[in-house]
Amino acid sequence: MEEWRFIDFGLVDIRDMMAMDEAILKGDEGNTFFFWTPKKSIILGYFQKADIELNLAHCKDYTITRRISGGGIAFSDDRCRQINYGVVGVIDNDRFALDIIESYKQICGVLIDTLIDYGLNAAFRPINDVIVDNKKISGNAQTRWEGKLLQNGTLLLDFDIEEMLRISNIPKEKFMDKKIASVREGLTWLDRELGEQIDMEEIRNVMKRKFEERFNVRLKPGTLSKKEKELTKSLLPKYYSDEWTYL
Amino acid sequence: MDAAIKTKQGLHKSKGGLIRSFVRTENGIIKDISISGDFFLFPEDAFFKMIQELKGIPARREDIERKIQEVYIDENIQSPGTFPADFAESIMKALEG
Repeated sequence: MEEWRFIDFGLVDIRDMMAMDEAILKGDEGNTFFFWTPKKSIILGYFQKADIELNLAHCKDYTITRRISGGGIAFSDDRCRQINYGVVGVIDNDRFALDIIESYKQICGVLIDTLIDYGLNAAFRPINDVIVDNKKISGNAQTRWEGKLLQNGTLLLDFDIEEMLRISNIPKEKFMDKKIASVREGLTWLDRELGEQIDMEEIRNVMKRKFEERFNVRLKPGTLSKKEKELTKSLLPKYYSDEWTYL
Repeated sequence: MDAAIKTKQGLHKSKGGLIRSFVRTENGIIKDISISGDFFLFPEDAFFKMIQELKGIPARREDIERKIQEVYIDENIQSPGTFPADFAESIMKALEG
């Protein structure tokens, strides 16, 4: 069976993680699936301006950076109860489709299979969301580079909606077309859906297994290559700079 | 144009995301423009070319949409759920104040 690399980066500073993320996409180590847990932070989508999207006066104790993919803010609080993943894959029109929405659907399928395993009514909502009973439980963002794709996403296990509303400037229009009255009704998280806290490592293991089944591969634990580490080092100043973050 | 321009915000929701525009005009010509949003657009750098190309054109819907369409073709842009008309709509909302 084909083997793809697997890395668990553990608890990380998002600026370091975004540099590693880009290095894996632009490196040459083949298809890779990885997890990380962000420290208290906000990651802006590539086209988002910090002073428009965030209430910066309320963000002072957050680490903020921007990523190379579009989409909206990814926010994580002190509790760290969210699973963040990344996939880097060669677009082969088999396992990773050329069609953007199809490729989202394929990768989001790993999350959906995981949630179904826990008995939840999970589904894909184009373009890039996973929902449970019409409530968003996972946001995902993809970029592409030289025939490869990088998709990042988050599965919410616990989430502080009030804090997200405090730090951001999300207008009511954001949710108007989704037939829900407000952000409060539009989001959910695993702990709420299940009524109990499942161990994060257990959920990650289910995700890994579902990934292997969906892509028909075996995940082999690995690390960053020397070249990826060098690339990461060269990318770090960007992710730590105000010029990059405050576009 | 880097920092957001403090003019009225033109806000439009496409299927692919929220588009927030800020525009400054002089004598009916777009002098400065800034867009922030949670949409997706590939290749990403083409977005900044699009913003540059909008500077100096008449602040009219047909001119704005035509220019955006030109950049879409030239740069082979794909933006699932978001179309040139969506950017034009957001910009027009900013202009209409």
